[in-house]
Amino acid sequence: MAYLISEEAKDLLQDVHEFCENEVKEQCKAYDVSGEWPKEIYDKAIEMQLHSLEVPEEYGGPGLSRVDVAALIEEMAIADAGFATTISASGLGTKPVLIAGNEEQKKHVCQKIIDGGFGAFCLTEPGAGSDASAGTTTAVKDGDEYVLNGRKCFITNGGIASFYCITAMTDKSKGVKGISMFLVDAGTPGLSTGNEENKMGIRTSNTCDVVLEDCRIPAANLVGQEGKGFSIAMKTLDQARAWMGCVATGIAQRGINEGIAYAKERIQFGKPVIRNQAMQFKVADMAIKTETARQMVAHALTKMDLGLPHSKEAAIAKCYASDIAMEVASEAIQMFGGYGYSREYPVEKLLRDAKIFQIFEGSNEVQRIVIANNTIGR
Amino acid sequence: MNILVCIKQVPDDSVEVHLNAEGKPDLKNITPVVNAFDTYALEMAARLKESSEGEITVVCMGDASAKNSLKNCLAVGADYAFLINDAAFEDSDTRGITHVLKNAAKKIEADTDKKFDLIFCGKEATDAALGQVGPMLAEELGVGVITNLIDIQLDTDKVTAKQETEEGYRTVESKIPCVVTVSKPEYDPRYPTIKNKMAARKKPIGNITMSDMTNIKAEKVGKENTLVNAIKLYEPPKKEAGVKIQEETDEDSALKAVAMMAEAKVF
Amino acid sequence: MADCKDIMVYVETAEGNPVKVALEMLSPAKELADAKGGKVIAVVIGNNIHDAAQKIAQAGADQVLMIDAPEYEKYNMDVYADVLANLMKEISPEVLFIGGTQDGKDLAPILSSKFEAGCASDVMNIKIDDTGKIVFTCPLYGGTILEDIEITSFPKIAVLRSGAFPKLEDSTTGEIIEKQVSISNDCIHANIVETVKEIAESVNLEEAEVIVSGGRGMGNKDDFKMVEDLSNLLGGVVGATRPAIEEGWISKIHQVGQSGKIVAPKLYIACGISGATQHISGIMNSDYIVAINKDEDAPIFEVANVGIVGDVKKVLPIMIEEIKKIKEAQ
Repeated sequence: MAYLISEEAKDLLQDVHEFCENEVKEQCKAYDVSGEWPKEIYDKAIEMQLHSLEVPEEYGGPGLSRVDVAALIEEMAIADAGFATTISASGLGTKPVLIAGNEEQKKHVCQKIIDGGFGAFCLTEPGAGSDASAGTTTAVKDGDEYVLNGRKCFITNGGIASFYCITAMTDKSKGVKGISMFLVDAGTPGLSTGNEENKMGIRTSNTCDVVLEDCRIPAANLVGQEGKGFSIAMKTLDQARAWMGCVATGIAQRGINEGIAYAKERIQFGKPVIRNQAMQFKVADMAIKTETARQMVAHALTKMDLGLPHSKEAAIAKCYASDIAMEVASEAIQMFGGYGYSREYPVEKLLRDAKIFQIFEGSNEVQRIVIANNTIGR
Repeated sequence: MNILVCIKQVPDDSVEVHLNAEGKPDLKNITPVVNAFDTYALEMAARLKESSEGEITVVCMGDASAKNSLKNCLAVGADYAFLINDAAFEDSDTRGITHVLKNAAKKIEADTDKKFDLIFCGKEATDAALGQVGPMLAEELGVGVITNLIDIQLDTDKVTAKQETEEGYRTVESKIPCVVTVSKPEYDPRYPTIKNKMAARKKPIGNITMSDMTNIKAEKVGKENTLVNAIKLYEPPKKEAGVKIQEETDEDSALKAVAMMAEAKVF
Repeated sequence: MADCKDIMVYVETAEGNPVKVALEMLSPAKELADAKGGKVIAVVIGNNIHDAAQKIAQAGADQVLMIDAPEYEKYNMDVYADVLANLMKEISPEVLFIGGTQDGKDLAPILSSKFEAGCASDVMNIKIDDTGKIVFTCPLYGGTILEDIEITSFPKIAVLRSGAFPKLEDSTTGEIIEKQVSISNDCIHANIVETVKEIAESVNLEEAEVIVSGGRGMGNKDDFKMVEDLSNLLGGVVGATRPAIEEGWISKIHQVGQSGKIVAPKLYIACGISGATQHISGIMNSDYIVAINKDEDAPIFEVANVGIVGDVKKVLPIMIEEIKKIKEAQ
């Protein structure tokens, strides 16, 4: 069961488990209600370096394999999916630079994270969700600078990031081939954050608009080449999706944990309800789904580690894990009966948390397109 | 500042311990953890080290399973760690434990050619809660002891410590070297950072056995040489559970409870 | 030397009076001395402590050794340990009793080391078995297991738990002997330079007849006041669990449980307390326990005479009102 991980990752997993039990799990209940971004929890996580697991070793990261990291991220997701999302979305925000950036840019963003910062990835716009070519954010070259204008929305970590990887049109006439990727530090004049979403779930993560108004950045902040922005973004998402599958798996695992614990305690007709085969089969089905999702995540990440193509595997992992997270969360509520529907109990939150994983970082419909294309061929 | 921290592994104290069928404490499914007060001691020592300079050595008497605990200590501030492990030490009483700890400290001092300035212990272990080892170790070493610390400050040749009392605290000064035992300070022990933990896993853990300690007296250690012997273990008589009230509303429950209390004439 | 049967009792004083456990220790001391055919020899150390010595003499000690000199005005562990060590050499008692106060718990292991004397901590009960062996009962693992132990050394040292032994009812008056003990100055390693009392109130949980305690379930400091209200209404003392204290709702002097005070009131009301082992083992000797907790599986219900499954914040105000009515009617 679980991920096959190194001995040292097993050790780290214990520490992360202890941290999440003591500092995250219960504390996040109140933040789920208030919707406030729990800075003190993140500060503690940063102190423990939980936020920099994905930073490559040569830039000061721990040098763990992706599957090792996945085990730790899942543990965080078991405690609170919003918490794990913040950390994972920071990895997402870093990936464009790690994929296509130059040495200086890589050092820059990794150092920002090591120093306790988070990254944010800004692709989506009000009129450009699945269709990135409809984006209206522009970057105009002006001497040694680019001037960015536009509005990004639904940006995870938008309000709390130290740096942003932002896509903008450098040549509108070329459609997605006219999109470029830019690295913008927080605090750059012209960059501001707007409307913060009042979300259904993952309420301990921050999601808001990122607004660019004549935001001037050095031309050196172009990541890769002009016109490569869409391709970089797609490569970024190809990797990041597997991580979203990892977080979704954590939600499902929490559902199993809570369901079993409750069904062992809950007495009906004179015996714990877990003794009923109907309950046992439910648990078995939840386990089949969750374990399958987890191994698909591991497979996609292993291919990534080996430098092999992974688009299809990452898409399957994200799509399947998020779909089953919804199912397992729903079944966990069913196991709790009426109590499961109550906010006093921990399982309704799982359903609210799980839903977004079917939507963001490429909706599951888009994932199916990716999977179909990679399966059928063009 | 050369600091020694003595730790002990205990069964996780958030789990209730009961007797098994053989009448022994059933510890089979309880994770061994570092005694909470020892983790506070290590944290206080680590803070002291960071505010001045120095090194921390951690020792633990126990079997090989304690190595993991020692590794954890190396990830949260300790520089060196030693496991004191010998079948001859098993089931020693506090006199035996103190005797072994003293000789282990002497051995490490001789090997490194550096004396310990401060020896930290937890104020007591959560299993037997005797609180004897710290003061006994000080007495054996012929140095002072301050117990129940919640804070410590270092001067050139003395320590000034805040000793927790029931009504507040005392400020106590002691010459160095000395032994201190630690209660719960205002802060919590740190979590190991990912990188410190990974580095700690690669550090060696020293092993100290009976034969490594030249002045140890075999007649003071082990099960055969205890001054305190267990005759029997048993569980205290259980109080019978009474009635549980869960009416439709909390108000009804409260009224019913008060009626029962009134009937029992408890107020 | 080994046939000396005397029981030595160290009497700690606070503000010129013997501490409670010191008086309590005289009863098991007397029992042991009678069985062994020895004397109870109490030792009081301090400055101007004649009154305390007098009280001890009247409370059941055969002899009271009074070490009364200005240099003992302030407690110093090294000095007091040295005085006691000197007296132990002279008297050569079979057993030394020390009260389980904070300072007592320090002195015992120091003396244990000096004399290679086996030491029993937190002794809850003492008996003599058929063979004349003294058996001490001590808690393990927060009190879920008890251990009967014997000490094979001579002398033996036992630290007695406060509140575990009843004071002697009627007793004859013993003699007071004033003694000079010379101590060596080089015994002093540490000094108390300041004593700060942060808690002005006096809280006597151990002798309280009614205790109303609050735990984490009280939620916040404001609601914790309800615990105090009920306690005031019943003329009781307020208790608390460690989490409630760590939250800062009340000072630590109110802590009930293994690491706080072991209590035995006639009525104990546990509000929003789930019942950790450490807490339950500290209240087991209460005559009547009432518990209010929303979790019907909370362990506190296993020891409660009356358990109310419900929201403590809704239950308490109603209980307070109802008890008020009953009290007014009386």
